Amino acid sequence: MIDNELLLLAVLSVSIFSMLVLLLSYLTVRKSVDIRKRKSIESYKEKYNPLIFSMLSEGLLSRELTPETPLQFKAIEELLSRYAKVLEGKEEKERLFQLASMYLTDRYQKQLMSKKWSTRMNTLYHIEDFQMIQLAEEVRRLAGRRRISHEELLHALRILALAQHPDLFALLTGEFVQLSELDLRNILVHVNAKQFDQLLLHFHKSHTPLKKAILDVISIRKEVSYLTFVENIFASYQGEVRLRAIKALAEIGYVEDAAPYLQFLYSQKWEERMMAAKLMGSLREAPAIPRLIELLHDQSWWVRSQAGQAIAQFANGKEILQAVLDESSDPFAKDMAWEWLYKGV
Amino acid sequence: MVNFIWGNVTTIFVWFIAIYMAVVIVFYSVIMLISFLQLRKDYKLDRVLAYEDYLDEFYTKPVSIIVPAYNEEAGIIQSVRSLLSINYPTFEIIVVNDGSTDGTLEKMLAQYQMKEIKKAVRIQVETKPIKHIYQSEVLPNLFLIDKENGGKADALNVGLNFSHFPYFCSLDGDSVLEQDAFLKVMKPIIDSNEEVIASGGSVRIANGCQIQNGHVLSVGLSDKPMVVMQIIEYLRAFLMGRIGLSRHNLLLIISGAFGVFSKSWVIAAGGYRVDTVGEDMELVVRIHRLLKETGQKKKIVYVPDPVCWTEVPEDIKFLRRQRRRWHRGLFESLWHHRKLTFNPKYGSIGLISFPYFWIVEFFGPIVEAAGYVFMILCLFLGGVYLEFSILLFLLSCLYGSIFSMAAVLLEEWSLTKYPKVSDIIKLFLYSLTETIWYRPLTVFWRCEGVWQMLKGDTSWGEMTRKGVSE
Repeated sequence: MIDNELLLLAVLSVSIFSMLVLLLSYLTVRKSVDIRKRKSIESYKEKYNPLIFSMLSEGLLSRELTPETPLQFKAIEELLSRYAKVLEGKEEKERLFQLASMYLTDRYQKQLMSKKWSTRMNTLYHIEDFQMIQLAEEVRRLAGRRRISHEELLHALRILALAQHPDLFALLTGEFVQLSELDLRNILVHVNAKQFDQLLLHFHKSHTPLKKAILDVISIRKEVSYLTFVENIFASYQGEVRLRAIKALAEIGYVEDAAPYLQFLYSQKWEERMMAAKLMGSLREAPAIPRLIELLHDQSWWVRSQAGQAIAQFANGKEILQAVLDESSDPFAKDMAWEWLYKGV
Repeated sequence: MVNFIWGNVTTIFVWFIAIYMAVVIVFYSVIMLISFLQLRKDYKLDRVLAYEDYLDEFYTKPVSIIVPAYNEEAGIIQSVRSLLSINYPTFEIIVVNDGSTDGTLEKMLAQYQMKEIKKAVRIQVETKPIKHIYQSEVLPNLFLIDKENGGKADALNVGLNFSHFPYFCSLDGDSVLEQDAFLKVMKPIIDSNEEVIASGGSVRIANGCQIQNGHVLSVGLSDKPMVVMQIIEYLRAFLMGRIGLSRHNLLLIISGAFGVFSKSWVIAAGGYRVDTVGEDMELVVRIHRLLKETGQKKKIVYVPDPVCWTEVPEDIKFLRRQRRRWHRGLFESLWHHRKLTFNPKYGSIGLISFPYFWIVEFFGPIVEAAGYVFMILCLFLGGVYLEFSILLFLLSCLYGSIFSMAAVLLEEWSLTKYPKVSDIIKLFLYSLTETIWYRPLTVFWRCEGVWQMLKGDTSWGEMTRKGVSE
């Protein structure tokens, strides 16, 4: 019996040991191959860099740059990716996108069909970075797959937004209603004015996350042309959506008539008090000042902070805050007044 | 007769050890498999591009970074400098001087032109009194709080009370952060729309790397055997253990060296506990408990990417103290929340995490120590069990190495790597020797920790830092 157990243990030891040897050889071979690949990519990069640089700065094409092997393509991809981060000029960016589409389109077309999740993801990142909107149809097909990870879907939709793809509206309002507000916002910021107007028309029929995302995007764009729309939303909605509308108005910094908004400085909900304070600050609405001073004593830090900021935005804001600092007996109000008086010193 | 009794005892013991080993191996293998699948999926993913989006202020959430400092004059300026250059849109740094007796306070005051400010601090967690609050004149987002000594947990609580932002990060005074550390750990929080309420990342060992001005210039493998063994340990713990556990929201530890938490949840749970040596683990357990008791579906996750580099002890004396302390901290957290063990009310935390930490992490060293004693006894008493014990020993050497090498493999698949082929071979050879010297040592120290606890010793065990940065 003991002999049997001994045998079992011995067999186990030998098999584990051989597993180890296998693992080690895999690791070392992999490492040396990796090191060699990296070296050759680096040397290609060194060779290509001056060519790509002159193509980007002068706009000429070079016949010397003829990548064939995957490593050469990789070198070009890495170089372009680096330039995409640092280039500022519009013309240079255009040239960069052109180069990327010239050298990488075919490759990315294939990679989008890859079985590996990480390959598809990297490709999506690059397509977005290089704004390769000519691949929109392929990306559209990817987004239509039944088994697709959330990350892929999100990036695919962003690329479709960037390409102003006609299907995007239908996808966002129909098939993919489960997307979160944050995801939607990430997608919608890329949409142009025409597509965005389509979404505004559909607003009342949208689900809440989409409504909030639309209002947030207006907050980012800060365009007065959306003013009537946002004021309408404010008048006809309650709760979270109305709150976002106030935020958007504060960002736009203009309303037809401030009166309806003043009452929110007295709201039961701290979020509404905070947003109303923000709005009053950006409108510089003098009648709100007494209430804003009161809000410096609010229970919520967010309201106090926003009230302080709002007061600081008025022309005589500094004097008001100084007066609070000198006269108030509430340490929290003093604290906030101090903070906004000396912010960014 | 004596032989007969000895035979029976050994048979029972051998079976016990065998079963225990089998349980542990099954546990580890399952966890390893989960990590393996996860990292294989991300293999070759371009992480820099993946994090780029989060640099935009509009998407990210501001973070308060709390740096508790007790006698950290050697490294504090470097750590703050490395923090100031991190890649994140909005953050504030709060250094909490926990009644240092060296020049920590003076160094900070002089270096960053700190000026005293009057600020009302809302007491949300009870702490030792604050003496002074300073703000830097050159960097308005850098604060320094001088308080009476009360331990690391107390210093963190002070920072928590003072902080302005909805998320905070706890940080050791001497760790060096990766540039994108915050982008990495905040990503799951932002992506999940705040369903994730805490997240941590891999901690790597700075010894042997070249570090300048708070930046890791090049990764290297230390020459000191003690450090190499710790590197293997860390890789195993982070890449296998935590990824595997995090996948199913079973994570009970977010390293004290670096972790981001949602402030409101930490305050709801009552802040850091001051009377334990393992305040980081205890907090995570308490948050889990709160989540289960209030029926919330929030998550605590772990990001496999390396986020911070920390100096580990090179000296046996300090390593021994550290291990004793860790083991005691582990016990205190488990014991304090022992109600959760095998309690179906706490779901997977009670049924899987707690038993795992009790059986594998806490009792592991005790059983292992018994195993070592048994092997030595067998050598003296001989008999049929001699071969058996030798084989058992060989087997434990090998299976330990398997897990170590698997961890090295996972490391190769994720981002940061040791650059040379010889590094891998070195790690392999060291991992083969673990069972002969390093493992018995740590097992012994951890048992010592248990013994100290039984005696009721509560000292902390300090480590002197030489500072990792040049």
